[in-house]
Amino acid sequence: MLCYQCGCPLSEHDFCTSCGADVTIYKKIMYTSNMFYNDGLEKAKVRDLTGAVNSLRQSLKLNKNHIEARNLLGLVYFEMGEVVAALSEWVISKNLRPKKNIAGSYINMVQSNASRLETINQTIKKYNQSYYYCTQGSKDLAIIQLKKVLSMNPRFIRAHQLLALLYIDSEQWERARRELKKCLDIDRNNTIALRYLQEVDAVFAKEDASGNRPRAKRDDTVRYQSDNEVIIQPMNVKEPRKGSFASLINIGIGLVIGLAAMYFLVVPSLMADVRGEENQKVLEIGSQLDEKSATIVEMQRQMEALEGEKDKVEQELQGYVGSNGTLETIDNFLDVVSAYLEGGDVVQTGAALEDFAAKVEIDQMSQAVRRLYQAVFAAIGPELGTVYYDAGTQALKDELYGDAIANLEKSVFYDAGNVEALYELGNAYRESGDVEKALEAYQKLLELFPDSNRVKRAQRYVDDLSQD
Amino acid sequence: MINFEEELKKFHPSPEVEEAVDTIYNQDLTDMADLLVKLIKDSQQQEQE
Repeated sequence: MLCYQCGCPLSEHDFCTSCGADVTIYKKIMYTSNMFYNDGLEKAKVRDLTGAVNSLRQSLKLNKNHIEARNLLGLVYFEMGEVVAALSEWVISKNLRPKKNIAGSYINMVQSNASRLETINQTIKKYNQSYYYCTQGSKDLAIIQLKKVLSMNPRFIRAHQLLALLYIDSEQWERARRELKKCLDIDRNNTIALRYLQEVDAVFAKEDASGNRPRAKRDDTVRYQSDNEVIIQPMNVKEPRKGSFASLINIGIGLVIGLAAMYFLVVPSLMADVRGEENQKVLEIGSQLDEKSATIVEMQRQMEALEGEKDKVEQELQGYVGSNGTLETIDNFLDVVSAYLEGGDVVQTGAALEDFAAKVEIDQMSQAVRRLYQAVFAAIGPELGTVYYDAGTQALKDELYGDAIANLEKSVFYDAGNVEALYELGNAYRESGDVEKALEAYQKLLELFPDSNRVKRAQRYVDDLSQD
Repeated sequence: MINFEEELKKFHPSPEVEEAVDTIYNQDLTDMADLLVKLIKDSQQQEQE
């Protein structure tokens, strides 16, 4: 206990040892507050909630800072279904003593569960709605609403009381008694409930004395509200019961119809699905088969082509390879070269080289053979060109133009630098009447040998032939 | 015999959760100790005057 003036702890004396204030009355007030708190606690322990509320309120009127009394009052309110009153007490308590106060736990307990808080709020709203129904005379609706309220919050004392009052008013004594008993189970000394119960008991006692026990007025209807509509359902009307045999027949018919529907609706659909899947698989297999067939045909074609190439190569190889397994053509070429080196005839050597070049492709031969061939060709070329030039000019003089052209062509072939051979070849073509070939020879001369003394004549022939 | 109308007057609507703040603010928290302190201070003032 603290001094009201300076806040120092008080001793057993009737004055404050710190500031000297007289605390006699103050101490008595505090003691009385504690006494009421103790009384309230005792009453709460035996479920005399109304008595506990009265005592605790007295305690708080004497000392508003009695935290235990305020917390206990909140608990009692909560037990009676007065959640808002309980929260109010706990909030005030928490404000008076912010730390080490169990009221904080109580507040968290209520506020942490949002759905529970919403249910509590709905309960209060429905109770208020039923109260307004009562004031407007809609007692049936009020009863229905109060039943809902109590199904959501069975400890709501005021709802029990109001429902009991409505039952008493409608002379439903048994129901009224039941509600009052429930109310007294929560709050044993609830004054209103006790007074109502006394009234109900008096009615029962009166009727017992007359031997006519009051019977609960039976409701012929059940009423409940759905949104804004009141549903009234008659109680005594029952659905006609049919015989069990008829039920069995109906079940049987239902089963038959179900099976028929299954057979005619579901099975065809399943079969169609299965067939569709099979057709899809057949199509896939067919396409794979086509691809593989095409691959086989292509491979057969490649194989045939390879076999043809193989035969050709074998034939070529047979031409190259002699009886003793050596390359006969190369041997012949080497023989020709040996004969030429030993003083052989250039014409024969040239003919042998032409034969060798006709049998093989010089570009495909080995480098050594190609070099040897080119060396021999370069060695005999000018001499052989001269031989063919002489023969060609002689044939031209003899007006044997075919021989002249053949020999001069060879002369130009073997000795490309022989301008006279090229000039005479043009003359041979011109004399034989082959203007196109003659022009070609002259133009080649003009192109390759622009400084030659044959240029003027060649140019004149070109001009003449071009004009013709 | 209980009179329904008279008894109904003793009932009143229950404050809703939204109204809890108003309930707390409207609560008269003056206690006997406050009154005592006020009386003592008033008497002390009168003595000084």
